[in-house]
Amino acid sequence: MNILVCFTTVPDLELLNDDDWVIDKNLQIDTSFLKPTLNSYDESALEIALTLSDASESVKVPVELNALTIAGTGATTILKTLNSLRFNRVVRIDSHADLRFRPAAIASILTQYVLEHAPQDVLLLGKQTSIGENAKTHLLVAEMLGWLCITQVVGIELVDMKHLMVTSQVDDGQLRQRIQTPCVLSIGDSPNTFMRVPTLKDRMRYGKRPVEILSTSGFQLSDETEELIELEVIRHERAGILIEGRSPEEKARKLYEAYLKRSVLLKERLPEH
Amino acid sequence: MSLKREQIVEALKNIVGEDYVVTDEQVLKESSVDRFRRFEAYHGVYRLPLPAAVVHVNSTEDVAAVIKFANENKINVVPRTGHSATEGGLETALENSIVVDGSGMNQIIGIDTYNMQATVQCGASLQELDDRLREQGYTTGHSPQSKPLAQMGGLVATRSIGQFSTLYGGIEDMVVGLEAVFPDGGITRIKNVPRRAAGPDIRHIIIGNEGALCYITEVTVKIFKYFPENNTFLGYTLDNMKTGFEILREVMVNGYRPSVARLYDAEDGSYYFSHFAEGKCVLIFVAEGVKPIADATATAIEEIVARYDECVKVEPKLIERWFDHLNWDPANLAAEKVEIIETKNVCNTTEISGNWRIINDIYDVCMQRVRSEIPDLTLLGAHSSHSYLNGTNLYFVYFYNVVDCRPEEELSKYHLAIKKIIVEETINAGGSMCHHHGVGKHRTQWIEAEYDSSYYILKKLKSAFDPNSIMNMGTIIPLDK
Repeated sequence: MNILVCFTTVPDLELLNDDDWVIDKNLQIDTSFLKPTLNSYDESALEIALTLSDASESVKVPVELNALTIAGTGATTILKTLNSLRFNRVVRIDSHADLRFRPAAIASILTQYVLEHAPQDVLLLGKQTSIGENAKTHLLVAEMLGWLCITQVVGIELVDMKHLMVTSQVDDGQLRQRIQTPCVLSIGDSPNTFMRVPTLKDRMRYGKRPVEILSTSGFQLSDETEELIELEVIRHERAGILIEGRSPEEKARKLYEAYLKRSVLLKERLPEH
Repeated sequence: MSLKREQIVEALKNIVGEDYVVTDEQVLKESSVDRFRRFEAYHGVYRLPLPAAVVHVNSTEDVAAVIKFANENKINVVPRTGHSATEGGLETALENSIVVDGSGMNQIIGIDTYNMQATVQCGASLQELDDRLREQGYTTGHSPQSKPLAQMGGLVATRSIGQFSTLYGGIEDMVVGLEAVFPDGGITRIKNVPRRAAGPDIRHIIIGNEGALCYITEVTVKIFKYFPENNTFLGYTLDNMKTGFEILREVMVNGYRPSVARLYDAEDGSYYFSHFAEGKCVLIFVAEGVKPIADATATAIEEIVARYDECVKVEPKLIERWFDHLNWDPANLAAEKVEIIETKNVCNTTEISGNWRIINDIYDVCMQRVRSEIPDLTLLGAHSSHSYLNGTNLYFVYFYNVVDCRPEEELSKYHLAIKKIIVEETINAGGSMCHHHGVGKHRTQWIEAEYDSSYYILKKLKSAFDPNSIMNMGTIIPLDK
């Protein structure tokens, strides 16, 4: 079973100071000085893929793990890590274009890769990135490929060469389904999926394997209908009042007297519903 | 006859009041350890004797009364403030210990900007003190990575050091005066003077005592004028540590005092700097102070580094932003716990120091031995972060996967095995096994080798000040000695 995990690296925006949020004329914010990090949902996808590979011998389903990113050289470190974790094939599609808000373009690249370069049985993608947050790419890929797509996936098990047991989060709980490949699975909030860490020995032995590098010039990007026209910084602020006091007891007393007492008394006077 | 646990608790309640004596089992478990045993603690494993109680003290008199009681009844006392220690110094090595927590003594008593000193209680937060000072254009100059968590008593007790030490010094250079309680309940105050030659400097009996001699209740530290607008960040990539040490030495020997002078090897550097220094060592400097001094320091460093062809300058903003987010805070620790439990990948450190002539050899031999003798490593690196006229430190950083062992076996299989290599090679080379984290309870087996003939002084201090052996037993000096 060929499994392709499509992942991206993102700058850690939490490390930006207020005065770093400067939007330039190209509608970019300079994050070049921030160390890139794996998009968290993609990290889950990569770890889930590795777990499937762990299980392949016991269920007698051979698994080939592949990983692909559309990025510049900033992804080099993570690609080496994936090699160290013994992904069979690690691919970077070299891109310097601004694809932050172009899920259709990304989807078209991924589709062409699967159809023309390396056939796959399963595509795993994180549900969205912390930059674009559009949660569209996996749906568009599935549509372009004509494959089944399941979203909010939290767990996957191997059944046989053509089937997976997929657990996904739905409104009122979890749904567990037996799925036939090929399929696109979008990974949601899956617990316990920090990606494992390769040992030094594995990094020495496997980390230097070549990364397959392709160029976006070899792909037809779909025409986007949406054009980015403006970026605005959203300030997440909450009003707050600092209660000062010499001890926790004093602060709690102040909190009660000044803010809570009235609502407690009001609640006592109101009839219960 | 020794008191039973219930009798100890009852007596403590009579001393400080029932509200300030905690006997909740989970609190007692968590109070029996510090960050040294965090892997097993995160898995709910607590192997050490549970303390009888955690006592929250609110005054020096409280501390004196509790410790006097413990001394009269030969009960082990573990002094604690911020609970951020990393070497087992806060572990309760004996049955029915009393953990005396001074974090409630958190007042900033006074800031004297004319005499350039600030006086605080032992539980005062360093972060809060420094924030308050910075509002007024001053700083303590002290910035250990635990700054958001650490409190002043513990920082002095462990002889801590901060990221800007190359300019401001370690805590031992910052302390002006102290108040401490000794095991007999006596309260000692050392006054605040700029310098004196009235016998040995007795502050240094207290600074670094790790709670093994006394309980620090109040500290006066120097403060410095703060000019962040003049900070200049300099970063370079280079090929090898030996060159980096030479550059650090040249900066220090020629009298320059950048607040930060750091050298990362490629492996440790990869953790932070892979986006611009893949496979390279990284040198970092920060020049600060009044503008003429900051500028001259930065200019001089640039001239020194320019003489080494292999050094390539990097964009200063890369260094500045990294520096902004170096410290731990409660959110980091909470995230760390989740990640460790899920990945079973643990980071630990061992810090040592050595003179210029030996430091690179120590680095080479430790790296070679640890790499070849320890299994399951995922990262092994080191950096120098505190330099002096005559040498520097090395902070070995290692991550490993905990494989095929129970949580309680993790330390002996990995961390202690690595520490043994580093400590023994360092002592053999003539360095110190312990640069700034304190001895705690897990380097005590090498304490005699560390001190050699001067161990006599350490032993006498312990027997003189703690004749009943109640102060944080097992710390600095091993239990069986």
